[in-house]
Amino acid sequence: MSYTVRSWSEFKNYQTTCYRNYLFAPEGLRVMGSTWSVLAPLKGLGDDVYIMGGEPHAASTAGTFPEEAREDIVAGETAGLGFHSCSYLKLFVGEVVRDKIAITDKTIKEGYPKPDVIWTTHLCSQHSKWYQEVSRRLGGIPMYATDMIGGGNAEKDPKIVNYVSDQIEEGILWLEKVTGREYSDELFIKAARNEIKCLVLWGNICALNRHAPAPLDERRLIALFPPAVVDRTTDESVRLYEGLLKEVKHMVETGESVAPDQRYRIVYFGIAHTYGHPEMSRILREVGAEIVASVYTFGTCGNFKGIVDGKWSWDPIDPAWVDALDLSTRRKAIVELAKIVLGWPTWQGVRSYWALETMARAMIAEYKADGLLLAPSRSCETDFRNGYVGLQRIFKSEIPTIEYDSDQVDVRKMDLPGAQRKTELFVQLMKAHKERSA
Amino acid sequence: MMKKGSDTIIERFRSITENPHEYAKSLQGQGHRVAGYMCTHVPEEILYAAGIVPVRILTSHVSQAMTRSYMHETYCSFSHDCAYQGLTHNYDFLDLIVTSSSCIHMGEAFNVWVRFAGFEGRSFLLPYPHIIETKPAASFMVSSFGEFKQFLEKIVQKPITDEDIEKAIRIYNRTRRLLKQLWEFLRRENPPITGPDVASVTLASQLMDKQECNQLLEQLIRSVETEPGKGATGARLMVSGGACDDLGIFDLIETLDYSASLVFIDSCTATRYFWFEVPEARPDKLQAIAEGYISRIPCPAKDNVPGTGEKKRFRFIQQFIEEFKPDGVVFLYQRFCSPQPMDVVALRPILDKLGIPSTDLELDTTLPVTQFRTQLEAFLEIIKREVVPLE
Repeated sequence: MSYTVRSWSEFKNYQTTCYRNYLFAPEGLRVMGSTWSVLAPLKGLGDDVYIMGGEPHAASTAGTFPEEAREDIVAGETAGLGFHSCSYLKLFVGEVVRDKIAITDKTIKEGYPKPDVIWTTHLCSQHSKWYQEVSRRLGGIPMYATDMIGGGNAEKDPKIVNYVSDQIEEGILWLEKVTGREYSDELFIKAARNEIKCLVLWGNICALNRHAPAPLDERRLIALFPPAVVDRTTDESVRLYEGLLKEVKHMVETGESVAPDQRYRIVYFGIAHTYGHPEMSRILREVGAEIVASVYTFGTCGNFKGIVDGKWSWDPIDPAWVDALDLSTRRKAIVELAKIVLGWPTWQGVRSYWALETMARAMIAEYKADGLLLAPSRSCETDFRNGYVGLQRIFKSEIPTIEYDSDQVDVRKMDLPGAQRKTELFVQLMKAHKERSA
Repeated sequence: MMKKGSDTIIERFRSITENPHEYAKSLQGQGHRVAGYMCTHVPEEILYAAGIVPVRILTSHVSQAMTRSYMHETYCSFSHDCAYQGLTHNYDFLDLIVTSSSCIHMGEAFNVWVRFAGFEGRSFLLPYPHIIETKPAASFMVSSFGEFKQFLEKIVQKPITDEDIEKAIRIYNRTRRLLKQLWEFLRRENPPITGPDVASVTLASQLMDKQECNQLLEQLIRSVETEPGKGATGARLMVSGGACDDLGIFDLIETLDYSASLVFIDSCTATRYFWFEVPEARPDKLQAIAEGYISRIPCPAKDNVPGTGEKKRFRFIQQFIEEFKPDGVVFLYQRFCSPQPMDVVALRPILDKLGIPSTDLELDTTLPVTQFRTQLEAFLEIIKREVVPLE
């Protein structure tokens, strides 16, 4: 029987509360930007900092309001954004253009709430431009973007760690200046430890999917990682993930799973298209095939051991390591934050084909995959979509592999019937492969 | 009609753009090592100081399908075509390929060369800031340049001295000044050289040994200075956008049914390539190179002033508009390019305020050139109506 995650409603409430705070807080500081940035530096400004992260907000809007999302995307295009550009970006800018915002509790607020500052990151050639455009449209919101020059084992390269840390340090000075607030290192350091802890805890939760049956499926992974993405700096977010880790450990001990029929285990590289297209998951589920590991859900806001002696390891990091971290000064906390964020598998794979390849190889082996599903997102150049083409060339002779194009939120860009047919063939291929191996 | 002196020199430049491999191989024949580079943020001065001639990897303008199984179709055709050059082994003669971390599309073209075209053992990816205006960018660049220098020293098996680098800086600055001089002819109402010719020369300079290039440029400028204007120029058009080595598009601008002249190109295959200088006679040569490259007209993929999010490139564009007085601006970029069209969204209102009409041309190898002709002529109709009376 399928297991129901007990803490699910708490996760949903956390996300909704973050968004409601941003929308309706009568006072405090509204901050917008990429949640791929380090977030703890914002919290040194006080306890009343409310964050609206571009990607998770766009994704959840598309999930909650498919029709609104389509209108937003079209509004973004009408305002001049190209058909091929990032659909998260278009949805987000579309809301600014339409001067209304929709959040996960089904609230649609007329009048777009302006942020006080934009705190973001340069993720791909388009990503910091996203907020340049939002800033421009909202009349010139002060904006700071950090160049997270990731790729490969960047978190172990002192030159890159220092470069990113120097920018964050400059950014904190800028935050102080632009908000006129006194900065609290104490609050910052507390938030930094929480941020690192959440990322490590999420890595531990994901790693439990190496068991058979894997306790969580892709849809639950997508649903449960928003707190780590939306605001991972709070005590509450740590409490949520500690509780979830405990619960998922118990699931493993008792052999339970949210999707127990797992005759075929799939490793998936792609953005969360199965959430927007449940039809795709259904095809897999009907034949007992489940996505048990994906670099997107694991690695966008999760940390693992990563590259050790030239090889990738999806082993989790002991959460006790976070408690022992020396974060006694602003600089020390910044450096540890820079390292942890640069260590996200998604960063490492974005600009490094060899890291992407080694992490795929390790994921297939460690999660005992029967198939590899590659679904590059047509409008996301950060989604290693080119890497996928390379991966298919490399892995197709080793493991049943399928590739079809998807899109994170723009349903127009997905060839659903074609992808469904390919998925059906993929299932047959896994079946034949398994029978041959047996 | 007898050819003028400048025509012969321009033909030489054009022939290099048409036969880049032949030219690069001739450099090897003269005993030079030759390195291909994929992004203009690669500090060519360091390569040149090592005795290696940098040549830019450009496209072959061949319609091809083979790269689709190596690169996703939603990468720009420029990056596909560059990847194609590697996969078809057109550049196997190169001693080395280099790129700097820049746009993701060209980064993937580089990856294709490294993974699938046999360049793994002779390649260098130079870590380079994605936001050029941050305070820590310069020191990061200096450190990356240092690593690059060490890498090159191993290849050439000799130290690269400060004198070597200073000499290279001066040679490159000379090229930059000469190219700038050439473009400035186009500020005139009746320039003695055409925009497409200047564009060809600029593109050729990216493929050439700079000492040879400088000699030719000096001859060309001397010759052009004595020549009369080319006659009525019609509407003055400025191009702004991304990499475009398809010189045919610039020739097209000047062969439409309406009279038009190309007066400026803001792109990394044209003025963004050279419109800056590296400070000379500085004690720290790598620092000097970093400062010089930071002072460039920013690439749209790297342009984001911390604190304001300002796009510094827009200041340059407005300056060029003031100096070159275009009647219209053509935004020219590759289909699927992310940063260029994002800038257009913000640039268009600025141009509107200045009363300068603009249009977009999205480049793709699948689009017939006739389509551009129609669009450009329609654009000239608009200019005719709104800005200048045309013939």
